[in-house]
Amino acid sequence: MPEVLPDIEQDSQTDASNDLDPGYMVICWDDPVNLMEYVTHVFQTVFGWERKKAEKKMREVHNLGKSLLTRESLEKAEFYVHQLQKYNLHATLERDTK
Amino acid sequence: MKLLRGGQKKFQFEIDRTEKFLLFHALKLYPAVPASHHRLSKDRHIPNREENQHLLDEALKAQRIEQRKQIESLLNDPHRFVEFEDGYRISFTREEIEWLLQALNDVRVGSWIALGSPDQQAETKKRLAKQAAPHVMAMDVAGYFETDFLHAITDGTPPDHE
Repeated sequence: MPEVLPDIEQDSQTDASNDLDPGYMVICWDDPVNLMEYVTHVFQTVFGWERKKAEKKMREVHNLGKSLLTRESLEKAEFYVHQLQKYNLHATLERDTK
Repeated sequence: MKLLRGGQKKFQFEIDRTEKFLLFHALKLYPAVPASHHRLSKDRHIPNREENQHLLDEALKAQRIEQRKQIESLLNDPHRFVEFEDGYRISFTREEIEWLLQALNDVRVGSWIALGSPDQQAETKKRLAKQAAPHVMAMDVAGYFETDFLHAITDGTPPDHE
């Protein structure tokens, strides 16, 4: 009797692994216009971080030119980027290729 | 602007006439950041990049329209600013301060973009150009009030304006 294998249909429209994989980095880039105190406040508000952590991340942005704020799924990363841009911080999401 | 009383939910400030004029002037410039200024990603290979960029632009646009309405209602509320001898007393909720911060920072960033997004060195030179004056003033005024509001909600201490 021939073996019957399940018919697996490829869905070319969606890629679940892309949406759920925490392979997206939310990055905040330095600019000379946003006040340091303001950036700290936004990090606390958007991520719910304690002041110490928010200040550390703000200093990374200021001293290194950018800071990786969090790794998330695509959907969540988009949400955070939107929140940060609402406050006019220079934030983007990038794919984590490591 | 001086913080008179601060709590978890409500903050009362004393503001003199010049400060009120400047605060109104800055808020009337909102929104100042050009639409579609923000990019979702620098990576061209993000799934549905264009579609998601469009959604982001639309969401930011809707938020600005809503915030503009809130600001207009604040500026046009005759009971909001209570006059006394040397100026006014005004109260804001924590939520109102949050959207005032967003609006003021929008004016600050938008004015900086209008100056050509200069780095700190270039900004010093650009500040001297006559045509830059309105943008420089808006940037500084927005920054002044941002600092006051941040200090009020953070620790209640008055900022050290240079």
